[in-house]
Amino acid sequence: MTTPHQAPPAGGSASAPTSPTLRSMWRGGRLIALLGLIVVAIAAITTLLGPDPRQERFLDPDDTSLRGSKALAELLRARGVTVDRVDSVEKARALGGDRLLFASDTLYLATDDLTDLPGDRLLVGAFDLKQLAPGVEPAPEVARERSRAPECALPAAAAAGSAFIGGVAFEVPPGGTGCYPSREGWTLVTHAAPTGTTTVVGSGSFMTNLRLDEDGNAALAINLLDTGKPVTWLVRPENPSPGDLAGEEGRSIYDLMPPGIGWSLLMAGVAVVLVAFWRGRRLGPVVVERLPVVVRAAETVEGRGRLYRARKARERAAGALRAGALDRLIPRLGLGRGANGHEVVAAIAAGTDEDPRQVGDALYGPPPENDEGLVALAGYVDHIERKVSEL
Amino acid sequence: MALTGRAGLVAALGIVVVLFAPQPGPALAGVCLLLAAGILVDLTLAGAVRPLRFHRSGERLVRLGESTTVELTVENPGGRRVRGVLRDAWQPSAGAAPREAPLDVPAGERRKVVVTLTPTRRGDRESVAVAVRSLGPLGLAARQGGHRSPWTVRVLPPFLSRKHLPARLARLRELDGRHPALVRGQGTEFDSLREYVAGDDVRSIDWRATARRHDVVVRTWRPERDRRVLIVLDTGRTSAGRVGAAPIPLAGAVPKGPAGQPARPEPGWPRLDWSMDAALLLAALAARAGDRVDLLAYDRSVRTWLSGASRTELLSSLVNAMAPIEAELVEADAQGMVAAILARAKRRCLVVLLTDLNAAAMDEGLMPVLPQLSARHLVLVAGVSDPRVAAMAAGRGTAEEVYDAAAAEHARLERRRITARLRRHGVEVVDAPPDDLAPALADHYLALKAAGRL
Repeated sequence: MTTPHQAPPAGGSASAPTSPTLRSMWRGGRLIALLGLIVVAIAAITTLLGPDPRQERFLDPDDTSLRGSKALAELLRARGVTVDRVDSVEKARALGGDRLLFASDTLYLATDDLTDLPGDRLLVGAFDLKQLAPGVEPAPEVARERSRAPECALPAAAAAGSAFIGGVAFEVPPGGTGCYPSREGWTLVTHAAPTGTTTVVGSGSFMTNLRLDEDGNAALAINLLDTGKPVTWLVRPENPSPGDLAGEEGRSIYDLMPPGIGWSLLMAGVAVVLVAFWRGRRLGPVVVERLPVVVRAAETVEGRGRLYRARKARERAAGALRAGALDRLIPRLGLGRGANGHEVVAAIAAGTDEDPRQVGDALYGPPPENDEGLVALAGYVDHIERKVSEL
Repeated sequence: MALTGRAGLVAALGIVVVLFAPQPGPALAGVCLLLAAGILVDLTLAGAVRPLRFHRSGERLVRLGESTTVELTVENPGGRRVRGVLRDAWQPSAGAAPREAPLDVPAGERRKVVVTLTPTRRGDRESVAVAVRSLGPLGLAARQGGHRSPWTVRVLPPFLSRKHLPARLARLRELDGRHPALVRGQGTEFDSLREYVAGDDVRSIDWRATARRHDVVVRTWRPERDRRVLIVLDTGRTSAGRVGAAPIPLAGAVPKGPAGQPARPEPGWPRLDWSMDAALLLAALAARAGDRVDLLAYDRSVRTWLSGASRTELLSSLVNAMAPIEAELVEADAQGMVAAILARAKRRCLVVLLTDLNAAAMDEGLMPVLPQLSARHLVLVAGVSDPRVAAMAAGRGTAEEVYDAAAAEHARLERRRITARLRRHGVEVVDAPPDDLAPALADHYLALKAAGRL
């Protein structure tokens, strides 16, 4: 498209640059930049000075939130019970000895590892009970959490009285004791396992800071945990990442990846940003134009036709067809504008060999009773018009 | 600034480098630094866009359906070569090609870029901006900037009906002018006196002139001349409706269906454009016949008023005046229109009103005020009928088609009724399908002229 052109332009018009200069961009954008800076500063300050952003940790002896259990842990310590908070099975095993293991979350624990830990157990919720509490079967239905009466002879429960409990319901194994019954089953089950006394509760919410002072919740929790043995309180690890989940042979997914994958992902991000900028940058402005409407003139007529069809307006449709035909027939028959129906029918019947009654019915008769009748009427009116035009 | 695909490619290659480098962290930093350096070098060394100067030359007028060229001269007063692409940003319906043109202007020189315009509709089309992207030597990044170099091309109505003009002119010559008639008839006026030649009708001898001249003198006659024709275009909402098949296809107006067929029927041209076509043929004919032609376009206010154009300049002034007129989506104000006509046409003239013979709109608008107009002027109402309605009225076979036919018959009946009412008011009516409107209107004008009713 470019051709050498040495002659001065003839009668050209002046041009002016329209793209912003650095100075004008700074002038136009400095307020926005300042606002952005203020927003970032406020966000940074509130994050630094704000409350501990850690999540609420359910049944954690160090958590003071409503879902935590710091109150229970402090009560136990005040009664002289040793409470050790651990976040892995290895640490629990390292403590050793004859202890009470209290476990509330098994998502990040392998139940195989727990099985061979000696001592008593207090388990919350649905564990893989086959190995940890053989014989205790969870019921298929879940019991609603509410205040329930113990209704059993277990001293810990009987002394505590009613408690806020529910969750998983269990069946009692032979030789075990069930407490706090619900329609679905027992929500607290205790029995003697080979390693020690094993107690399973359907839910642990009665041990949280929120519920501890209701009913006999505190008494039940203390009775269950204060057995004279030190308590190993097993909580889930802090911010575990999915890659740390124990896999086959202890290899995490990161062990299988080449070392540079994280960095090359970063590089891919850079490449995506560059390509987006390449494709997204438009050459020149979007040009707008005021376009005329595109509406076909026949649309109103088509709309009327569809309306006739939708309402099955055979009377109006037949009327329009007859009026159109008569408007063409009457001048052709040599009749005046004011000619009445009898004259028109008589003139048509005289000119053609059509039956006058049929012609009269077609042009002045009652409206057709169905769509087939309307189609037939249109055809016959056409036939009459053709005959008359051949006169 | 702008980046090129090459920058993205280098970054993509960087992914592989980082993946297999012994020390991926430093490798990433290295690749990014290298890329940033390359982009910086390109931005610094690319020819500056801001100091470029643009000059335009070329056509200002183009007839719809034809192509024209506009030349854009790029002058580079800077110290570096500007190499890259240029986009002359015209409005979409100007049909500018190419969209982006390669550009290579050495320092201190100028180059010409030729843009071909193939407009797809009538009106003024302008170039909004000129954008230039100037690539750096490495081809990683480019400087980009815009300039304003205004240029407007007026797209004129195509006057497709000019093919009918020679036949009508021949009729006009037959009727009139070149052969002065000796018989005084209706629609003739006195032309001149000349000496009696054997064979002339003795009844045309002018005895008073003969007495003065000592020679027998006869009068000759010719059809009346110097009549006034006022063409009125109704630009209200009814003139926006599209009828017929567009002789010049509208680009992008019809979405294509899955099989390459148009998804909907072709919308055709607005009634206004068909009216303009007919008005141009009538004006060309009337100018040759020696009449004066004025143009008024009106909806709720005067859109265009063209008066007193010289006969040689008439057609070009008319197309120029008509080019930017678009149908407004408002109900036309018939009372205002009649008032505007009466204010402008002092002497008796032929008022050709190009509108739609829409019964509902006419009953409300024109019919009550028409007597004011027809009392002082000869009024001719010309309307474009819709061939689609005629096709629908002929539909038979299925119930759907018959219902459509009934609706079309109803519309045609209403149209005939309004036509009859107009004729009773002494108004001439021309109602023709789009392709026939211009010749029908021209024929009607010739018939009026022959009958001496102008």
